[in-house]
Amino acid sequence: MPTYILGISALYHDAAATLLRDGVVVAASQEERFTRLKHDASLPVRAVDFCLEQAGIAIQDVDWLVFYEKPLRKFERILSTAVATFPRSWRTFPRQMHAWLGDKLWLRTKLVETFGVRPDRLMFCDHHRSHAASALLASPHANAAILVADGVGEWATTSLWRGGGDAPGLHPLGEVRWPHSLGLVYSAITAHLGFAVNEGEYKVMGMAAFGRPTLRDRFDRLATFDADGGFSLDLDYFSWHWHPTRSATSKLEALLGPPRLPGTPFAPPGSGLDVPDAVMRESQRHADIAASCQVWLEDALLHIARGAKARTGADTLCLAGGVALNAVANHRLAAEGPFAHLWVQPAAGDAGGSLGAALWAWHCVLGNPRQERPFHITLGPRLDRGHTIDLLSDLGFPFEEVGNPTQRATDDLLDGKVLGWVEGASEWGPRSLGHRSILADPRGSGTARRVNQRVKFRESFRPFAPAILPDALSHFDLAEAEEALARYMLTAVPTRDGLSAAAPAVVHVDGTARLQVVDQDAHPAFHDLLSSFGQATGLPMLLNTSFNLKGEPPVCGAVDALATFTRSGIDVVYLDGVRVERPPKRLYPTLGEP
Amino acid sequence: MRALRRAWIRLTGTLAWRFPAERRRLLLAFSRAEQGSALDMLAAVRSTQRRDLRLKYFRHAMDEWRHSGLFRRAASQQGVIDATESGRDEAGLLLEHGIVGGRTLFERMGELDFLAFVYVAESDAVEQFDVYRTNDLPDEHTRGVLPAILKDEAFHVSYSRQELLRTQDGDLPVERLAAVRRVRRNRIKEGWLRFSRDIGVVVGSVWLWALYALVVGPFRMVARLDKGGFQPASLDARPLLDQARSEA
Repeated sequence: MPTYILGISALYHDAAATLLRDGVVVAASQEERFTRLKHDASLPVRAVDFCLEQAGIAIQDVDWLVFYEKPLRKFERILSTAVATFPRSWRTFPRQMHAWLGDKLWLRTKLVETFGVRPDRLMFCDHHRSHAASALLASPHANAAILVADGVGEWATTSLWRGGGDAPGLHPLGEVRWPHSLGLVYSAITAHLGFAVNEGEYKVMGMAAFGRPTLRDRFDRLATFDADGGFSLDLDYFSWHWHPTRSATSKLEALLGPPRLPGTPFAPPGSGLDVPDAVMRESQRHADIAASCQVWLEDALLHIARGAKARTGADTLCLAGGVALNAVANHRLAAEGPFAHLWVQPAAGDAGGSLGAALWAWHCVLGNPRQERPFHITLGPRLDRGHTIDLLSDLGFPFEEVGNPTQRATDDLLDGKVLGWVEGASEWGPRSLGHRSILADPRGSGTARRVNQRVKFRESFRPFAPAILPDALSHFDLAEAEEALARYMLTAVPTRDGLSAAAPAVVHVDGTARLQVVDQDAHPAFHDLLSSFGQATGLPMLLNTSFNLKGEPPVCGAVDALATFTRSGIDVVYLDGVRVERPPKRLYPTLGEP
Repeated sequence: MRALRRAWIRLTGTLAWRFPAERRRLLLAFSRAEQGSALDMLAAVRSTQRRDLRLKYFRHAMDEWRHSGLFRRAASQQGVIDATESGRDEAGLLLEHGIVGGRTLFERMGELDFLAFVYVAESDAVEQFDVYRTNDLPDEHTRGVLPAILKDEAFHVSYSRQELLRTQDGDLPVERLAAVRRVRRNRIKEGWLRFSRDIGVVVGSVWLWALYALVVGPFRMVARLDKGGFQPASLDARPLLDQARSEA
């Protein structure tokens, strides 16, 4: 009888479920893909149903259900912080107690009731241990240093581990504890720049490219770094530990200037937008704050990585935690850091905790040895072709079952069309890597603006990633240490001369690109499409962005894809080889109306 | 009963539309409700056994999304929506939306009651917006978008009524009528539960503040925040499986 382990992350953000059969990942998905609520944190009922269905088992067949946190330890932190910050925490205390006393504190019971698992089959893994396990045990590396950095888990905000040795173990070396958190500093700056926390961090990273780190020295006042890589923050600048909605105090505003109001136009010099000088100057100031914060974070991570190298002597660094999704910082770690190889868990945020918790239970608790196998991210639901055809007929979308979808899609791309591309199983992690993607020809000078403004309805400064075949690597300065990251779009690398003219839609304003190198084994259909496009144009490269609209998770099933298609400026959608055109206005009279 | 309801909507609406901050809150709540409704309709497209209804549900979902955007734009006309409000917005959607808890509204209600729910909810919305419009309550921008929204909502009422009459699940007209009554009763019950919950939160908060001041306060003298820097990981002497099974 095989052993089934179900990992679960939930109740903070990015709820997810992962199912292992004898240590091999059978299925994994985030709850948001089913409920359509971005970062959905509720217990992942749908994701669990999907995982069980994939394996063809019932919940009674699951040997262990592993939750990715230790809830009582987290509650201890919340209570201790409320006491230590009395009386400033008066607003936070009732809110948190309502949430915990009403729900979170009774997690064991809730898991048993919701999923129908036996109480003696439950395990709980520390938050950072879950992340560390997702980084090391899903990687191809048996021995490595592991760095986890996020907002906060139970107590740890940054932790260092040594992985491997005589068993597939995770050995904790040390941790920086709440409220000293690199992730939360970045989130505080995200809020200062007018973006939503846990959502707008990517925007800060994109905005940073327009700025210069002119305020970098001011960020030095926020933290002190120790020789061993540890750090402590000056907490007078921050309020996340005692205020329910604000991350920073007026002292941070005094340091960086007034915050940016949400929705303020962002049009620094070089953006190509025609705005008054005052807007341009203010945008430049915001971009400079973003750039300074970005460089500060990179410097901090480099410092910690050097400490990790000194303590472990390892050649490889594995990373996880939300901070590890910062592709620009990952490149600097690869280019300037002390490690020969980097590996980042593609679902480095909390969703990945479900994978890590399950892997930890299999290897570290149950003592099973590692097996060499590549980690693929196509772990989510697939389309059912019969169901898709029925749906398209019922909804009145013009469609065609294409004999050679690769050739037809190439023709569409060469016609300047923007494609919705749904193929195979959906991706694990926040990046769309050619299975739930919006694709376009990267060579057009107006393509990026068109996709931002008329297809995805998002800010015009947001960059797009190039998906390429390995043949096109000569256009990029990819360091050897970050080759593995480029498979999952987890590093932003400098491009070489000429690419910004040849493929302007995928080169950011600072000349970098968040690269995805597509290999045939992992993404055969997407690889074929790139090959076909490369044969036609001499450039095997496509603009690849997630198939979603602003504020929504990437599409999962056919209904989501059609709903997004209908509301966006996408020209054509391919649903597993079925070519779909826009629906007629007679069926949807309000189509195209504001 | 209907006159009383309209009078109530007018009274609360007059108060709500008077102040810009309250207007913004109301418009954001509408936007959120429309977004939640769009998700419910899409879930119904996935789950319904009646293929003839898919098109109508899908069009309905598209309309609701459009309305959500219109209301959100109207809210932004009332002043900047800050990140805190957006956060509350998302949290509200998570708390109130029918999908949370793993089962969609359609799955919980079934074909007949879902149709009855659409009919009742849309009829109520038409009435509410109609009172706002006829009494000139909203601001100028919102007044401008209400006719388009009302036109769509009228379509939603008409198709759901038509389909409700045609549905095969309730062969007898009395069953369909019973479904409408059941949905109305549940809406009143849910409204009452929401109100009770809100009261409970207020009362609970008063108790928690008292606890905070009287019990938490004195311990302040001995509590300290962490000083930062790398700390050694705490060692746990328990057997590994016991550690793994523990929530602490």
